[in-house]
Amino acid sequence: MATLSCRSFAKTSDGAPPRLPPPVARGPVGWLRRNLLASPFDAAVTLLLALAIAWFVPRAFAWALTDAVFWAPDGAACRGAAGACWAVIGEKYRLILFGTYPYEEQWRGAVVVAIFVAMIGFSAIGGISVRVKLAAWALASVATLVLLLGGVFGLSPVRTHLWGGLPLTIVIFVSTVAGGLPLAVLLALGRQSTMPAIRAISVGVIEVVRGLPLIAVLFVASLVFPLFVPPELQVDKLIRAIIGMIIFFGAYAAEIVRGGLQAIPAGQHEAAKALGLGYGLRMRLVVLPQALALVVPALLNDIIRAFKNTTFVAILGLFDVLGAAKVALEDPVWVRYAPEVYIFVFILYLLFCLAFSRQGMAVERRLAVRRR
Amino acid sequence: MTAGDRGGDWVVEFRDVDKWYGAHHALRGVTLGVARGERVAVCGPSGSGKSTLIRCVNGLERHQAGIIRVDGIELDAAGRALATVRRRTGMVFQSFNLFPHLTVLDNLTVGPIFAAGEPAASAEARARMLLDRVGIADQQAKYPGQLSGGQQQRVAIARALMAEPTVMLFDEPTSSLDPERVQEVLTVMEELAHGGMTMIVVTHEMAFMRRVADLVVFMDQGEIVEAAPPELFFTRPGTDRARAFLGQVMHL
Repeated sequence: MATLSCRSFAKTSDGAPPRLPPPVARGPVGWLRRNLLASPFDAAVTLLLALAIAWFVPRAFAWALTDAVFWAPDGAACRGAAGACWAVIGEKYRLILFGTYPYEEQWRGAVVVAIFVAMIGFSAIGGISVRVKLAAWALASVATLVLLLGGVFGLSPVRTHLWGGLPLTIVIFVSTVAGGLPLAVLLALGRQSTMPAIRAISVGVIEVVRGLPLIAVLFVASLVFPLFVPPELQVDKLIRAIIGMIIFFGAYAAEIVRGGLQAIPAGQHEAAKALGLGYGLRMRLVVLPQALALVVPALLNDIIRAFKNTTFVAILGLFDVLGAAKVALEDPVWVRYAPEVYIFVFILYLLFCLAFSRQGMAVERRLAVRRR
Repeated sequence: MTAGDRGGDWVVEFRDVDKWYGAHHALRGVTLGVARGERVAVCGPSGSGKSTLIRCVNGLERHQAGIIRVDGIELDAAGRALATVRRRTGMVFQSFNLFPHLTVLDNLTVGPIFAAGEPAASAEARARMLLDRVGIADQQAKYPGQLSGGQQQRVAIARALMAEPTVMLFDEPTSSLDPERVQEVLTVMEELAHGGMTMIVVTHEMAFMRRVADLVVFMDQGEIVEAAPPELFFTRPGTDRARAFLGQVMHL
């Protein structure tokens, strides 16, 4: 080797075979060491949590299962029980799930819930075009309205003020998202418009609505709005509530969509312009598909929140699941068992929200394929 | 040898074009004619206005004074001619600007199908032929993010060719490529040039300019300082500014 004039050096190598990485402790013991007992502090935390779990789990188990009463037609068997009284659910589930909807017609509500659950599953399937999925949702929405409203195909008509429970929650939620997402896109595009009037209106709507609590928006929609509108133009209370929810959802989601729009590089706009694509086509084909894909996680957050916000319609005298549960608890025989009823409602909401987030993750995975 | 007023068949014509960004005078009385079937290479230091010049051709930047005509159509202030001009120009960008959410094939067909109303089947058939011509026929179902930079730029060239433009605009097409990917893109461009395509190319690839350009335009501070055939420009630059620039670039 030639004598080097500098002190830096590098070792050369020619054709060394690749070697395996150093071994990592495997199996349950290795997992325990790495995750629970890695340091004295970790071990102490593990121990404390184990004690807490050992104290809590048996008690919860006894309350919810071993000491619980599952069957008590008149509520008597629940009086002396040490555990939960799940009998209240068996007694009241029709009221909780379907509210004041006529008892003999509640199967229609059950079909609506089944359609909704099936649609969530259907939307998660990959390889089906968005167009087909949107068409299926439109079809499901029409079927839902026909089923709930009745008046055709031999179904007895049911006025909207009798709607309640889970079907009502689903109707409000789907309408809010279906109306709110397009509104959000329009407001977001409007906010970036070069036309001052359109920009001012968009900014105004977004800022005003964002500055109001949802309850205030709903009060305006249901109580203030009718004062200024002649009686012959009055709109159904449910529709007014839905319009309020749509505007609220749209204003929030608009800012999320704007974030997505701003993340699209100028080059994408320029390339689309250079191809001769006008504003509408440029947005529809190039900018929005990318912008919306970027903000799926944030939008999903708002969509889940919209599902939970449906509970606010209770203040307008509409009985969604939570509102119907409260009504169920007004029965003096069962009034003591509020925790059981609320746990049931809680699990119901949790199941739907988990389904939405699984759905969102599936969408994200599909979109991720296209990026690097 | 400057772009004088000899009359003729200009595909792209600039007459005393001025452009400002705020108070910054980005193009200063630029006059230029690109004849049908000829290649004009534009070079100059960064900030010299060469990108602004090429982006004014298809109205990505709007000029404030002077006249720009593309294929005889004047780019008016109201932008009425923009759509027509853009359909007759193809542009290739430094950073490719492919649409990452569309497959390679859809990147090529989206313009013809939606902007020009071509039936999908015929657009796809033409797209496959062009992809074959730029040597990436087997990648048509992939997304741009799955391709190398050189492949992406070749897709971008094919995409620009889909509209069968009368002039191709290249804005530093090889500047963001890895060195070993530059030649594959230049080869495609040379083939295009030999096919008789009218081209304006903003580039620093000196060897490419020597082989392909009919006229080299040297810009500095918004002005065209020198315009000469490559053999003259590279051997006997007429101005100090061009000499200084060439000195810096050649010694890279």
